Parts: sequence; structure tokens; C-alpha cells
Amino acid sequence: MSSRTNSPAGPVAWAFWMRSLGEVTRVRGALIGTSIAPLIFLLGTSGQFGKLVGLPGFPTDSYLSWIVPLCCLQGAGFAGAAAGANLARDIEQGWFDRLLVAPVARPLLVLGPVLGAITRSMIPVTLVLVVGVLIGADVTGGVGGIVALYAASAGFCTVAALWGIAMAVHFRTQQAGPLMQMGVFLGVFLSTAYTPQPLLKGWLEDVARINPVSHVLELGRQATVSGIDASLAHTWPGLASLAGMGLVFGALALFGLRRMGR
Amino acid sequence: MARTSTSSHPAVAVRGLERAFKGGIKAVDGLDLEVREGEIYGFLGPNGAGKTTTVRMLVTLLRPTAGQALVAGHDVVTEADAVRRNIGVALQEAAIDPLMTGRELLRMQGALHGMRGGEARRRSEDLLERVGLTDAGDRRVGQYSGGMRRRLDLAMALVHRPKVLFLDEPTTGLDPTSRNALWREVRGLNADGTTVFLTTQYLEEAEQLADRVGIIAGGSLVAEGTPGELKARVGEPTLNVHLAEGADVPAAREALAAVGPLVENQDGGCVAIRAARGQATVPVAVRVLDDAGIAVESLEVVSPTLDDVFAAVTGSTLEGAAQSRDPDASAEAVA
Repeated sequence: MSSRTNSPAGPVAWAFWMRSLGEVTRVRGALIGTSIAPLIFLLGTSGQFGKLVGLPGFPTDSYLSWIVPLCCLQGAGFAGAAAGANLARDIEQGWFDRLLVAPVARPLLVLGPVLGAITRSMIPVTLVLVVGVLIGADVTGGVGGIVALYAASAGFCTVAALWGIAMAVHFRTQQAGPLMQMGVFLGVFLSTAYTPQPLLKGWLEDVARINPVSHVLELGRQATVSGIDASLAHTWPGLASLAGMGLVFGALALFGLRRMGR
Repeated sequence: MARTSTSSHPAVAVRGLERAFKGGIKAVDGLDLEVREGEIYGFLGPNGAGKTTTVRMLVTLLRPTAGQALVAGHDVVTEADAVRRNIGVALQEAAIDPLMTGRELLRMQGALHGMRGGEARRRSEDLLERVGLTDAGDRRVGQYSGGMRRRLDLAMALVHRPKVLFLDEPTTGLDPTSRNALWREVRGLNADGTTVFLTTQYLEEAEQLADRVGIIAGGSLVAEGTPGELKARVGEPTLNVHLAEGADVPAAREALAAVGPLVENQDGGCVAIRAARGQATVPVAVRVLDDAGIAVESLEVVSPTLDDVFAAVTGSTLEGAAQSRDPDASAEAVA
């Protein structure tokens, strides 16, 4: 027998990733919900709140431009949370036991679903961005801004997936699915999702200020609102927020994984 | 059936193993057992006896709350990764992703066990052929029958050529044809040198496959030995001689008493004796009855079954006990 105890990480992560993608390509309509919902949200919200841009201090005259990054993040976040729901299903059905008895480093059991979620999330993100631009959203940030938006979306998807996985390994039931989705919803809702922070009032202003998702939105809004500032003032806070949330929820997921079977 | 051990350590060694759940309920309570390398060990017990909890501890899915378990020479708690490299596991429900094909699942399993692409592909093809699923290899598992899923499950457990194979109730819910096919496969694997730890609640399965049997009840091992040893503990086989109509019963009793001790309380036309030598008693009995001029309708050797053993050690019976008859019991000689 080989002296190593765990299988090489690369092929294992690849295998998990491929399996995760298979769920998308083989389940008819698997992407419809996660793709159409943010699109409808984009169209509905831009129509309902479009005149908010007339408020003094609103940083753009196009509410569509303001809302596109939000819808991208929502699509990515729900794709991420779905990774948790899928894992809970795998746990319930016994498939996860098969993975647990394989000589695989435990973090890979988390990394695989996250990679799959990030890949899946690119579909709604791209759809929202393309439709948004087609119906009039500005691309003030150019290519750099779009890269920032994709980074924000992928990062937020990762955070949401880690949150979902943490819930899945803790509760070990698909019934925790709404909790996974709610985490994403609350994270976005209690941020500068709909209006800039100076225009928020009361407790929501305070919560939005400390909510790291606000910074992630700022990171993404470099594509359609603020553009890339030379000081990268809208870039680093978002990246740092993603790293912080990723660390916290990643640790929670791994801790829950370690607790399984105890 | 069992192969000679070539290693210094047993395949599975369990000492004082315990698993308590919330509320202090002990599913496994001070279990001691040892499985030799190359044997098929049947772990027998009714639902709730602690079989699955034991297996989950041995395959590193569940931590023991006390005691120690070594699998392939490695501690299941402190050397869990090394244990995982050496075991194959097919758990109670064949948990297989229904969206993937059999071929994809086997290749994925190969990747999980560190096989390179080409090696995993070759091994997958070999295993598909071995379990008779080559033609179905590109079909999604969701379209497989229960028997096909079980066979694929077994193949997946074998991808990395494990030293110890854990099969948790592998034939539950299978039709007789699928069950027999799986039994053949398990025998073949064992003949190739794989140690098999088989949990079952079916007596017939344990009788057919196991070199040794451990009976668990209430979380503890209550009996252990070869099926023959266990049955011998309950009692010797009995030779039942059904006499032809009008035969001289007292003369038959007198003649048969010379072959073995008489068993009392038999029906009028039947004389029974203890048959310590099993089937070998039949020709001797036939000869003495023939010499005495006594006509016989039929003879049968009835041996104790594992259910008798189970009933004796636990006071209850197992599922499937009615179907489980000792092979001797079905051997009927017509004079």
C-alpha cells in the first residue's frame, strides 16, 4: 500500500465538480428557476423603483444600472445556497456516506460542491448582465468593471455555498433548505441593495453599514455604476468582505463536517 | 472457504466497543470480536441489535464512545484515513446518484481512491463485466433495477481492491435470482482473498456465505463460531424414520436403538434417533431396518438451524427463519 493516506486533491475535486455539473445538464429545467428569478427581479424592480434615482445623492441616473449587480449577486447567491440543499439531499440519501468513507481530504468534500455552484452561478449572472445591458444598463466600468462584477458574484456564490453547506452538515436534512435561502435573502436585503447607504434611514442604515454584503455590492457596482477607481476604494473592501465571510462560513462548514459521526 | 492468513494482524479486531447515543442509550455495548484475514464473517442479528451501528463505527462513519476497533491493522479513530484506504463499503441502502451512469460512478469512485484516468477506466470496465453490467454501463442508474443497483454498489466498493469488504445487509429487498447472483459474487471475491464482513438478518444468507458467524443482540455478541459449531451447541441432528403402513414399530425401535439413542415423543409411524454423524447415519439405519425386515417409507436427517441457535441464545427468532433450513434437513432418502 502507498504511504500516503489521502487521494490526490486535483482529480478528486475534478470528479466532484463534474458530478455537480451533471446535475445541471441532466435535470431538465434545473437552471430555469435560478436563471429566470433574478431576471424577473431585474425587470420588476427596475420598473417599480426606477424613479428613486431622482433622489438627491443617488449615484447614478439609471436605476437599471444600480440594480443589475444586485440581481447578479442574487442569482449567484441562490445558486450557492442550492449547493447546500443538494448536499443535504446527498446526506439524506446516503450518497454522502460513500464520500465520507473514501480516503479524501475533508475540505475537498466542501470544495467540490462550491466549485460546482460557482460554475452554475455564471449562467444567471451572465444572463442578467446581458439582458440588463441590452435594455439600457450602463457599463461604466468597462472590462475591468465586468471582471469585478464576476468576481463579486463568484465570491458571493462561494460564501452562500459555504453557508448552505454549513447548514446542511449541521441539520443533515433538506428541510433546512429555506434556512439556506433565507441567509442569502437577508444578507442581500439588509444591505445597500436598493438604495445607497446615505439614503437609508434608521436601523437599516446602521445594519447596511456593517453588513459585508454592502461592500460586495460596491465591488460589483464598479461594472455599471462607479467604474474602477484608481484608488481601488470600491474594490478592496468587497474582496476583504468576501474573504472574511468565506473564512467564517468555511470554518463553520468544516467544523460541522468534523462533527458528523460524533 | 476461508483462506489462510498471511498477515500478523486480524482483518478486524474489536475490543470493548461501545456507542452510546443521546439519553445514554447504548446501541453497541462492550462488543468484542475478531475477523481473520480471508474469511467471510457473518454478523447476524435482528433489526435494532446494533449491527449497522457497529459497521458504521468500523468504516469510520461513527466514532465509538468507548473501546477500540482496528481494521486492516489501523485504528478506526486515530488512523481513519488509513482504514478508508483499505476498506470497501456497501451500506444498507445502495446510495447511488441516479443521474450518473454506472460507468461514470465507477470512474468517479476510482478518482476518489487516487486512481489515474486510464487505470480507473480499465478497472471500471473489469468491474462492470464482473458484475454483469457492461451493457448497462452507459445507462443512468435511476433506470437500474434493485438488483442492478446492488451489483453496481458492490462493484463501487471494489474499485480500489480493498482488503476488507463491509457489506451491510446486501440482499435486503432483492428477489431470489438477484440474491443468488450477489452471493456468487461475494464467494468469488472471498476466493480472491478479500475478507468480507457481512451483516445480515437472514439466516440463510449467513449459512450460505459465512465461515464464521457472530450473533449480536442488545448491542453485545451473544454467540460466535462456525455455523456447524453453533448448531452443535444446540444439539445433534435427528434421523426421522417414517415407517411404511403396517410396519412393526416396536421392532423398528429396537433395531434403530442399536444405531443411536432413541428420541421419544414421536408419531406412531415415525421412529427418531439422535444422528451424531448426520447423513452418514442413513445407510447404517437402512441396513439394520432391512435386516430386521421392516419396510420404510422415508428417512430424513434434521439438523438444528441457526434460528434454533438464535432462539437458544436470545430467546427470539429472526426474520426469514422459516425459509432457512439446514442443507441436511432437505436431504430426504426414500427407502
